[in-house]
Amino acid sequence: MRITATERASAVVERAKHSRAGRLTITIGTGCCESTAPFLYEDFWPGPDQAEVGSVSGVTVFAPDHLRRMYPDAQRVVIDVTDELAESLSIETEFGCRLVLRGADFDSAAEPQRCPAPGAPLDRRVTGELPPELSRIRMR
Amino acid sequence: MADHQLFIDGEYRDAASGETFATHDPATGEKIADVAKAGKADAVAAITAARKAFDEGPWSRTSGKERAEKLNKIAELLGAKAEKFAEMEARDGGGTIKKATFADVPGAQGAFQWFARMAEEQPEIVDLPGTAFPPSENYVKYEPHGVCTGVIPWNFPLIMAAWKIAPAIAAGNTSVIKPASFTSVTALMLGEIMQEADLPPGVVNIISGPGGTVGEELAANPMVDKTAFTGSTEVGRRIMQLASGTVKPVTLELGGKSANIVLDDADLDIAAAAVLWGTFFHGGQVCESGTRALVHRAIYDEFVSLLADRTGKIVIGNQLDFNTDIGPLVSRSQVETVERYVALGREEVGEPLVGGSRPDDLAEGLDAAAFYRPTIFVDVDNKSKIAQEEIFGPVLSVIPFETDDEAVAIANDSIYGLAGGVQSADLDRAKDIAGRMRTGTVWINDYHLISPERPFGGYKQSGIGRELSTQGYNAYRQIKHVHINPGGSRDNYMHFSALSSNI
Repeated sequence: MRITATERASAVVERAKHSRAGRLTITIGTGCCESTAPFLYEDFWPGPDQAEVGSVSGVTVFAPDHLRRMYPDAQRVVIDVTDELAESLSIETEFGCRLVLRGADFDSAAEPQRCPAPGAPLDRRVTGELPPELSRIRMR
Repeated sequence: MADHQLFIDGEYRDAASGETFATHDPATGEKIADVAKAGKADAVAAITAARKAFDEGPWSRTSGKERAEKLNKIAELLGAKAEKFAEMEARDGGGTIKKATFADVPGAQGAFQWFARMAEEQPEIVDLPGTAFPPSENYVKYEPHGVCTGVIPWNFPLIMAAWKIAPAIAAGNTSVIKPASFTSVTALMLGEIMQEADLPPGVVNIISGPGGTVGEELAANPMVDKTAFTGSTEVGRRIMQLASGTVKPVTLELGGKSANIVLDDADLDIAAAAVLWGTFFHGGQVCESGTRALVHRAIYDEFVSLLADRTGKIVIGNQLDFNTDIGPLVSRSQVETVERYVALGREEVGEPLVGGSRPDDLAEGLDAAAFYRPTIFVDVDNKSKIAQEEIFGPVLSVIPFETDDEAVAIANDSIYGLAGGVQSADLDRAKDIAGRMRTGTVWINDYHLISPERPFGGYKQSGIGRELSTQGYNAYRQIKHVHINPGGSRDNYMHFSALSSNI
């Protein structure tokens, strides 16, 4: 696994270095609503299956064994940042952004417009009704 | 002033900083509301309010029956506002109004009702008959932990809030929860319900804000006694590390890459529907989604053909229309994540059988950048990235197998162990396979059916502990052993013989 970062992601990590007194670490983790993503933490303890795979702005990046096996050798992933609302406990969420992973061919200059203007207004009222067979179910 | 404020100590208030963030309808990009953005000071205020409410009462000293009455009242009030909550749930997170109406709101109600029943029925004191030290008597007393915090994800915000709040307060704890930033509104609206139910101030506190500050505080603060989290495995690890500072117990419900096994004796018509429902419900943004369909080689071609045919009939579009099956994903960045994995799938597996793009036939006004078509890759190697990593979008990997042993081996070849399914006409065979799957839930000839009465949680890196059921209730109770020496002669006191008789 080979890590690179966009300039804007590096800038976010630099900002985090100034906002936190502890040692910063980026760990690439997986699962649930985050999918596979980078997480920027202060005073993080890498697990026994995690190994160093690179650095961003001097902050070490770790990845677990199962991900390193899936992205072997020089397979590249790009750490980028998105300015949408941010989840997770990653430090940059304080700044209203989120580090994300991009594919090897990602070109930040060609990024699509992130906040498109809506087209013609849609009738946004609720329409229709619940099918009767579902009204008998209490799921979850 | 924020449109939706923090709920702390029984009152709505802005963040101490006055900061807000905007939340949008993902289908159109239209702004829904400004939401208060809590910082560390607000998190500490909420925890302090919960601490005070627990330590000074009266909540922690009320009877189970009294607490049950409040929880049932909360469920009743939620039911009275079901349409309002359902519409906001659908607008804010992009889930369909159908899902919000038959799953989210009744599911949240059901959680409050179930844990009301737990509070009323589960004994707080259980005698322990017999003793190694006669004439002593012994009993176990179940007690609340104290302040319980919860951090919840964006895919089922209302239900997840109920799953964290209801068991905590049913057991006599106080609660602080942080909803996800994408979908904070309905969780914050629960504060109104708590006020109307006349819940004492500080018993429930709801704060929206960034996980990097608020989430960390809820896990690390020494005033907190227990924490629970639903979301990504990596954040779960972080929560454990932060909670370890004061040795807090944690409940974690994390990622999954669940296998739905279709045996050669299955009714293919029903099984195909089960696989599509198991994968594409809520656009695949469900932790237990059956995103790996393991299909017996003997029926493989016919089954794959059925899947392709049926997938084309799934309705994608406006989430506020009851006829829609899949609305937008929660955000544009979520769509980009799906696109990244579909690109990886094309490299590793080849062209998807169906899907593989954003829809191009949406109604005017809907933003295609927020939608993704249900996508199916076939002949997938279970070692590939799309079969191993959780995509959290509408992407299904179909994997062939020859024998039941092979199916079990493939199903278990994952770092996760949240859920799974077996589709078969032979229930004994299906139960044998279910017993060998290392997951917290297995559905036989069904999928996604979760109810408050049944435990939910994962093996391996899918989590720790269980939510719902009696197990989920007891996770919010401490266990105290009380030993009573009724007295009498000096012979009844072991300390006289254990130490020198001179003491």
